[in-house]
Amino acid sequence: MMTPLYKYGFFGEEFSLLVAFALGLGFGFFLERAGFGSARKLAAQFYLYDMSVFKVMFTAIVTAMLGVTYLGWIGVLDLDLVYLVPTHLGPQIVGGLVLGVGFVVGGYCPGTSVAALATGRIDAMVYALGIFAGTFVYAEVYPAIKGFVNSDPMGQVTLPEVFGLPWGLVVFAVVMIAVVGFWGATKIERWAGSRS
Amino acid sequence: MNPRPDTPYLNPYLAGIGLGLVLLAAFVIMGRGLGASGAFSSTVAWLTNLVAPAHAQANEYMSEYIGDGSTHPLKAWLVFEVIGVAAGALLSGILAGRARLAVEKGPRVTTAIRLACAFAGGMLMAFGAHLARGCTSGQALTGGALLNVGSWAFMLMVFVGGYAVAWFFRWQWR
Amino acid sequence: MNLRQFTANRKLAMVAVALGTLALFAQPHRGPFVKLDARELASVVEAEVDHVTAPDLAAWIVEGRADYRLLDLRTEQEYAAYHIPTAENVPLTGLADYPLLRNEKIVLYSEGGIHSAQAWMLLRAQGYKAVYFVLGGFDAWKDEVLFPTLPANADAKARAQFERAAQVAKFFGGEARIGVAPEAGQAAAPAVANELPRLTVPPPMPGPATPVAKKKKKEGC
Repeated sequence: MMTPLYKYGFFGEEFSLLVAFALGLGFGFFLERAGFGSARKLAAQFYLYDMSVFKVMFTAIVTAMLGVTYLGWIGVLDLDLVYLVPTHLGPQIVGGLVLGVGFVVGGYCPGTSVAALATGRIDAMVYALGIFAGTFVYAEVYPAIKGFVNSDPMGQVTLPEVFGLPWGLVVFAVVMIAVVGFWGATKIERWAGSRS
Repeated sequence: MNPRPDTPYLNPYLAGIGLGLVLLAAFVIMGRGLGASGAFSSTVAWLTNLVAPAHAQANEYMSEYIGDGSTHPLKAWLVFEVIGVAAGALLSGILAGRARLAVEKGPRVTTAIRLACAFAGGMLMAFGAHLARGCTSGQALTGGALLNVGSWAFMLMVFVGGYAVAWFFRWQWR
Repeated sequence: MNLRQFTANRKLAMVAVALGTLALFAQPHRGPFVKLDARELASVVEAEVDHVTAPDLAAWIVEGRADYRLLDLRTEQEYAAYHIPTAENVPLTGLADYPLLRNEKIVLYSEGGIHSAQAWMLLRAQGYKAVYFVLGGFDAWKDEVLFPTLPANADAKARAQFERAAQVAKFFGGEARIGVAPEAGQAAAPAVANELPRLTVPPPMPGPATPVAKKKKKEGC
């Protein structure tokens, strides 16, 4: 066990910012490569004729998930030291719904909007302004909705823990769902494409 | 600069593997995932702190991003990561000939309406992301790979929310 | 071209299924038994980074810090009578099954210091990294936080420190005392019995008594 490197003190905060930039570089590069710098490509997910969002997202999830599973298995990565966002089911369900609506209305999510505005998309720049405005409004109303935001805290929990299943079984299930999902998504794309 | 046709996008699975490996590197090197919305929060907190410091520091949400004054509010991990995202996307966009000033919209909608929608969408997105403690990058992608319970619930609801209203906004895209 | 790409996707799918199937046997989480690095533990103990003092813990609670879990290892009755604010009651035997995360900061205390030190070892043996115990246990909390005593012949510096300790004591419902001069030959302990304060969880201290602003958010989206 010697990773995560940062948590084992291999480098300090200053260097971690450099790492942040480097990781962001890779993140942005592949977002743009995938076509996520275009709102039309992203929104197509919700009109079924281009399911790239689903395909790219789930491939990334499966890749990273298999990575942490195997690195944890051979004892290189201490998975317990990787930060998990604490689960609060209520606000996360409502937040997901609101964000999904925002995705269709605005055409981006925060990460992809950065990739799009960097490549000159004016709507993404306006979208980013919208995020600033939304964040400001949220901060202003935060005291009033704080109770809801912090409701049903479950702490840092994973699916295997909640369902009492072995980690490997859940990983296997996600991989299978993804592969079958990709096959189905391609079928749906063809069907939706032939209709329009 | 003579305009050349856009290079086709990368095979989604290969792009996904690339993203997944970057995410894995973040886990291994930093012990945390990627994100985006937090950088916007830092920037808003910093800007508000410049204009109205007393107001910003009294605000429970912003004060968390301003900190105790020992470091600059923008000296945050996610801010540097997001600067990297912009640089990486620009690099890829230039290499593929896709970097240009343009408005992304369907043929049936005017630019003004599209921009108004973009602004409204951004506001909704910010609200949703803060409620859910993360956006598609920080929650769905990062938490999805770590089998985080809240992230999977969140991800499911993003698609539910999106598909629920997609029909009403089809004029914007098709 | 189209066909070739299709087969490439199929190949990727096959690799994913193979890796996913093999992952069925993967167990990245460690079980209840782990190897102990005796040297590392010994050096942690020797460096005295395995504990927090009662006043330090008091300062954390006053600041309203929430980045740690405080576990009370005493009996239920003792816990019900009084416990350090924010503490959770976990009897020593229940510790192994108590839901804790290996990446949380865990602070333990017991009546004296012995049980918490033993529990510290148990948790470390299970791979919990950030475990601390309150030096001197609950007794130290009583003597140093709830009822701090100022020796009568204290110098100015000690007095200044005592001012702050008194404020903290008041915050937790205790009371600071000025001790009897040692040369009087009497017991230094005050004659009045130290009655434990009533159990109320105080809200974080407002005002300039704690000039510590919140630390910046480090993780999360």
